[in-house]
Amino acid sequence: MESTASPAASSPLSATPLIVPLMSPSALSEGSDQLAPLPGPPPFDVVQAYRNHLTDEDLPMPIAAVASLTELVERSSAQTMSQLVHELQSGAEKLKKGTANPISLSAGCDLFVRYVTTTRQEHDDFALHKQEIVEQGRAYAKQLPPESRDKISKFALGFIQDDAILTHSYSRVVMQALLAAHRARKRISVYVTEARPRSLGVKTVNLLERNQIPCTLILDTAVAYIMDKVDLVLVGSEAVVESGGLINAVGTAGLAIIAKDSGRPFYALVESYKFLRHFPLNQYDLPYMPTYLPLPAQHPSRGLQTPNHLLSRASSITSMASSAHAATIPSTPSREQPKAGFGPLFSAGLSGGMTKEQVDQNPEVDYTRPELISLVVSDVGILTPQGVSGYLVGVFAD
Amino acid sequence: MTKAERREEQEKQRAAKAAVQPEGGSSGGKGGGQQQKKTPQPGTQAAESNAPRTPQVAHSSRGAPDASSVPTEKRANEPAGPPPVPTHSRLFPHLRLPKANILASASVAGTSKAEIHTSILRLALQFSSFKITGGNARCIATLTALKSVINSYTTPQGTTLSRHLMTYLSPQISHLVAARPMSASMGNAIRWLKYEVSVLSIDLPEQNAKDFLCERIDTYIRDRITVADRVIEDHAMEKIRDGDVVLTYARSSSVERVIKAAHEAKIQFSVVVVDSGPLFEGKSLIATLPPDLSVTYVLLPSLSPILPTVSLCLFGAHSLLANGALYSRAGTASVAMMARERNIPVLVCCETYKFSEKVWGDGVTHNELAPTTSASAPVPTVSLEHINLLYDLTPASYITAVITEVGLIPPSSVPTVLFRQGVTAAQGL
Repeated sequence: MESTASPAASSPLSATPLIVPLMSPSALSEGSDQLAPLPGPPPFDVVQAYRNHLTDEDLPMPIAAVASLTELVERSSAQTMSQLVHELQSGAEKLKKGTANPISLSAGCDLFVRYVTTTRQEHDDFALHKQEIVEQGRAYAKQLPPESRDKISKFALGFIQDDAILTHSYSRVVMQALLAAHRARKRISVYVTEARPRSLGVKTVNLLERNQIPCTLILDTAVAYIMDKVDLVLVGSEAVVESGGLINAVGTAGLAIIAKDSGRPFYALVESYKFLRHFPLNQYDLPYMPTYLPLPAQHPSRGLQTPNHLLSRASSITSMASSAHAATIPSTPSREQPKAGFGPLFSAGLSGGMTKEQVDQNPEVDYTRPELISLVVSDVGILTPQGVSGYLVGVFAD
Repeated sequence: MTKAERREEQEKQRAAKAAVQPEGGSSGGKGGGQQQKKTPQPGTQAAESNAPRTPQVAHSSRGAPDASSVPTEKRANEPAGPPPVPTHSRLFPHLRLPKANILASASVAGTSKAEIHTSILRLALQFSSFKITGGNARCIATLTALKSVINSYTTPQGTTLSRHLMTYLSPQISHLVAARPMSASMGNAIRWLKYEVSVLSIDLPEQNAKDFLCERIDTYIRDRITVADRVIEDHAMEKIRDGDVVLTYARSSSVERVIKAAHEAKIQFSVVVVDSGPLFEGKSLIATLPPDLSVTYVLLPSLSPILPTVSLCLFGAHSLLANGALYSRAGTASVAMMARERNIPVLVCCETYKFSEKVWGDGVTHNELAPTTSASAPVPTVSLEHINLLYDLTPASYITAVITEVGLIPPSSVPTVLFRQGVTAAQGL
């Protein structure tokens, strides 16, 4: 297994999206004399395979992507390396397009494509080579997640004392680290944010309670209130990007800002297969994500905003305000009204609840800037955010 | 020039040298820059500028080629012509203005003007008069000139090209440095060239070696500059969206290419060109931009009211230091600081060959002065001096990302890239 991860991780072959991956010389020479593609078997739906893999509760998205691409290689009729890489790339593209939130998935895709393009072909027979890729891919998908999570929880143990910990939403690796700390007889207590809209914080609280770890579920809006009682913040992540920042369930960035303001350490626990080669400049520069939360009265001239258009901004604000007033305004709910249960919070009729449409306008993830993160604890080591980018540049840059 | 001609010249110089030796020796030494009186004979100077290659009064001390380094240093510190105001600033005595009469200064006592190749003489003049500016342009021009120098080089008897060529090139390079301090890009390229020369096989026939070197230089220009710029263009374009307002400062060839490419890709964006003296390079940037692109031109003092409309800052680089700091046209730091204050992403387009292993803490210890060209500026007198610093240092904390041919990297990753290139670079030292 180690042998699987290391060539992929340390190989310096460039995998920038615009550069066609290079192939090993052996593959090139083979590609030149055999070019007759065989009629393919029944088409393999990589997206469906991915969905099947995801039903397995314990399989994280990048690894599910690796598993489904491995299946693709297994079913592939490619005769040469270039054909295989081409199939893989179009498969990865399909995966990224076919899912609503492909951020963490694409990290797995990139990892596997890079692995395939950079492994040396040991066998003369291409079928054997393919077989080997498939075996490695399977071993990778099976062993890597538990191994890296074990490593991370061991690393994280060093940061956890008898502390009050704040965490956000649900993360497998944070959960495992908390359980490990508990088993190591650290008297931890945990605050968990509810993490709208998916409310996965509830799941975290249930699991912690089952393991008798004292925990409290808090509102996302109560983070600033509770921060002074918290010793450290632990979050998981969907992806770590090249700037060293995080892409994680919406609310993480706010959490990090509040933690920074209160001087609390903010640690991210991330497996290295979630390291993503992308450099977001701000919240709106996330890969494959549509823009959320548009203004209702989108100014027509926003398409080309020259400084002159600043003047027209005032008018757009007034029109916004009038459109907002046009809708019926629900009365302010009194404190005595029964509180909403968790689950479908936007259920109709609940005063103050958002409609489904309103919720859908909101982003699922946000981007936490590297300056806000104290350390990234990963299976390749405990890194500063700069260290993450250094690591990624080292792996990808050539 | 043929070998025989050069021989003849050298003989003449040797004779002349014997005559002027004591004078040449006394003019050397550091801190000699303040001595303005010591100008070459006026007659010589005029003659020299007409026929730069004629060594009428050769003050050369060059008997053997390897004696080149000492006289060259002397010449670098030699006063430049007879300007009425000091070339050295009182506030920054370690900085000096580019030599206005670089052609004449080459013939100053103790130098080997005859050894300087025509293309280098021409280039030095273009450098010192700011006809050629910008890291990429200067680097390409230098390499191209060095190519013609290499082509006209003949290995003397009893030595080999790989051992002797650099001693022949050194005075040429020193002459360029005397015209204007070397840019980081030139420094890296020349260091690379030295390495390439040093690893040439001794057995390689001279013409083959020269052809090989020229080919390597072409490859360097193509890979490290031209292709790198194209990749940077692609990376940068991904960050420009419809509706963006892209701010740039002064003029950078990479940023210019990015803006043009994004415009050609039909991205609907507008450009704010911020500019400032003494060079006002933004004007020439605007002249090259497509006419149907919406451009706003502002001077640095009016930056803050325009900043709320800006969504992205794109800067070029003179050099990117190992601590992630950006050494670029003076004014960049202020713009970057103000942009960062508003959370506007600050991107720097920089080819990796401009990365430098140096670490500087400020923009004062290393800088350049430019002459004042503005007519409206007060006339400098003995008690009034103009200071036009050419560069400043932007700390890494004001930079969001660096766009290089290896992708977008945070400035903190500059050392990682340097280290990866370090193997060959260190060999080249």
